[in-house]
Amino acid sequence: MKRWGEGKAAVAAIVVSASTLLGTYGITRIMRSASFSMRMPDLLSSAHAEKVPPVTAADSDLGRHLFLLNCAHCHGDDAHGGERPDLHDLHKSNARIHQAITTGIKGEMPSFGKKFNELDVQALTAYLRTLRH
Amino acid sequence: MNSLFWARLHGGTTHFPIALIFGAALFDTLSFLCPRSRRGRDFRIIGFWLVTLGALGSFGAVFSGLALSKWQIGGTGQLFRHHLFVWPAFALIVGLATWRVLVGYNPSRRAFQFYIGTILISCVVIGAAGCFGGELLLGQ
Repeated sequence: MKRWGEGKAAVAAIVVSASTLLGTYGITRIMRSASFSMRMPDLLSSAHAEKVPPVTAADSDLGRHLFLLNCAHCHGDDAHGGERPDLHDLHKSNARIHQAITTGIKGEMPSFGKKFNELDVQALTAYLRTLRH
Repeated sequence: MNSLFWARLHGGTTHFPIALIFGAALFDTLSFLCPRSRRGRDFRIIGFWLVTLGALGSFGAVFSGLALSKWQIGGTGQLFRHHLFVWPAFALIVGLATWRVLVGYNPSRRAFQFYIGTILISCVVIGAAGCFGGELLLGQ
């Protein structure tokens, strides 16, 4: 195996490493926009409408979008609970849902208080209220 | 493919590169401690292949994790803490493996010393990333 100079190899390693991170970032941006544009028509598709009651309120649309970006990796795309509880037919008050989202649940769920503003939390709550078995 | 599929795939693909990089750090440190013996050279070759395979495996771990988190670079809460350590760890692993492949089996002792220091720091960063990742999936 032909050896490189160690200094030259170190520079090459930094370049490869930085390029890998940049490439990953680029792929992530592409995949995020692709998956979002793929999901938005789902809101209107008849197949989806069988699972989720018709979404009429604008804030519920926003709530679903926020849910897919922030909550679905634990609660599942359809909120039936991937690794975390099923969110259909929640028997919690709006205030309790608000508290769980903004302050989190110790050891179970992170706090989203810094990320979501009041309208976001209301939108998420509105979306959760549309989820029925 | 739902979140559970990606969670399982990420769990499966993540532990191989972690074990390989930790193994590489162990064997390279051993080879550094006995530089002139035949065993030291064998350890160095093992370390070379472990870090190379670990770096290749890390791509699978990273991309399955990104798919699981809906392609979020940052995220919030535990996911953010996990990512805070994942990206430096990924950069370090790829950089170390690239350097090792380019330099070959027998780098100079001084350069190898620096390499071992860096791979040990990488192990700490990988450990922190794994710790927060585990918390994210399993809770407390």
